[in-house]
Amino acid sequence: MINRIQTVLFYILLVGIWHGLYQLAIWPDFLFPSPLGVFSTFRQGLADGTFYTAVSTSMGRVVKGYLIALALGLPLGVFIATSRVFKNTVGSLISGLQPLPSICWLPLSVLWIGLNEMAIIFIILIGATFSITTATEAGIRNVPPIFARAARTMGTKGWRIYTDVLLPASLPSVITGMKLAWAFAWRALMAGELLSSGVGLGQVLMVGRDLNDMSMVISVMIIIAVLGQLINRLIFSQLETRVRKRWGLDRA
Amino acid sequence: MLRIEGVSKSFSTDNGSTCTLDNIDLTIEKGDFISLVGPSGCGKSTLLNIVAGLEKACSGRVLMDGREIRDAGPDRVVMFQEAALFPWLKVIDNVEYGMKVAGLPKRERREKAFHYLKMVHLTRFASSYPHELSGGMRQRVALARALAMDSDILLMDEPFAALDSQTRSILHTELQQIWRTTQKTIIFITHNVEEAVLLADRVVVMTANPGKVKKVFSIKLARPRDMENVDLAFVVSQVIQELKEEVEKVARAEFDSDWSPKSDTFLPTPERNIGNGI
Repeated sequence: MINRIQTVLFYILLVGIWHGLYQLAIWPDFLFPSPLGVFSTFRQGLADGTFYTAVSTSMGRVVKGYLIALALGLPLGVFIATSRVFKNTVGSLISGLQPLPSICWLPLSVLWIGLNEMAIIFIILIGATFSITTATEAGIRNVPPIFARAARTMGTKGWRIYTDVLLPASLPSVITGMKLAWAFAWRALMAGELLSSGVGLGQVLMVGRDLNDMSMVISVMIIIAVLGQLINRLIFSQLETRVRKRWGLDRA
Repeated sequence: MLRIEGVSKSFSTDNGSTCTLDNIDLTIEKGDFISLVGPSGCGKSTLLNIVAGLEKACSGRVLMDGREIRDAGPDRVVMFQEAALFPWLKVIDNVEYGMKVAGLPKRERREKAFHYLKMVHLTRFASSYPHELSGGMRQRVALARALAMDSDILLMDEPFAALDSQTRSILHTELQQIWRTTQKTIIFITHNVEEAVLLADRVVVMTANPGKVKKVFSIKLARPRDMENVDLAFVVSQVIQELKEEVEKVARAEFDSDWSPKSDTFLPTPERNIGNGI
């Protein structure tokens, strides 16, 4: 409880300082809006539906991209972890491409796919898949060999060793990878939307800049930050906590 | 029932190759309780893994009921030194796992799992996760899981080595009881000679590098056996005598080359005896 109070008081203080600075009129109005100005823009954006459309468009894109990344990344990770051929070929390609930030893929994807939704989903895909693949591969490689041996002595054969033992055993690692992939996906989404036109959050952000509407810019930034954090907290952290509790990984 | 014929295995590492098993011949009848003892590195675990089908011998073969063993299977279930319970499953699901692989229907699995959990006295923890149990409890669950496979042969690789002595005594009694009721064939690896003599019909003493069968002791003590029994202590000392030579050989190889059991250990010798028995 005391933690919550401290956090809330801190934010109130920050807003207070912000308002104070605004009153001092050091910078021109259009560069440094007041908190109240931002708040009213916020309300406006909600009322006329801009923000609602922006959020649903962006979320739609990132969810699509993320789910495809999961569907691709998990099996890829399994193959790389288990087949030497795969590791030397596809695996080395993936680790080679990993340092390339998602945004660098945008020119290629726009030229190939065109200036549309698919291009953005493509770069979200690239960003997220690699994280999931790497985490899955590491997870599977780090499963203690005794689990597979125990399962074999109980009659588990063939692909069942993957479904019954290796995949469940690598779940904590996979979830960490999923959290990371979400962070990458969100950033890739923003990169893609900032550099294209449309009605997503990044695009509304750029519109704000074009119109010199600082309040709009700040409002959208707040939405982007809060949304990303919210999903991280509500979905991924919860998932991670539940798995770690069940496994007893966080014993005090 | 189980015949180990001329099994050999050597491992080669950067430091040269070791002859871990050298032409092992052993016959095990149905319902036998055999214990393998020997210094560390004598290949006991390797032999068990070969019988289990988890490793392959370089030469020789293992026959079970006349058929050669090629792979691991539910007819030779293993209980390891670390319980190896799946941390993502509850205790009851862990015990059920083997039956699930075998395709038994859900209700029957549940019943049998509870039956075996009751045998190890852990029904109260059926819905717990492995991390909530102590080491001894986990080993008991691993025992229940192995028993639930209903295999003819049970292979145990130093299963009680990581437990404290009280838990170990309890498990000794439980194991003897279980062996009596189920009449399984058990191969039990340990480096604890007392444990071996307490539990087994025959104790096989193995040598290290090369790994051979040195001597087989037939333990003719009456059951149920008791650790405090004087006759047991006598048999134990006989086995230890056999074993001592091997242990010293291994120690000499592992310690520095100028180590000697006589000069480098603090043993009570007549000269150092400053007044015992006055």
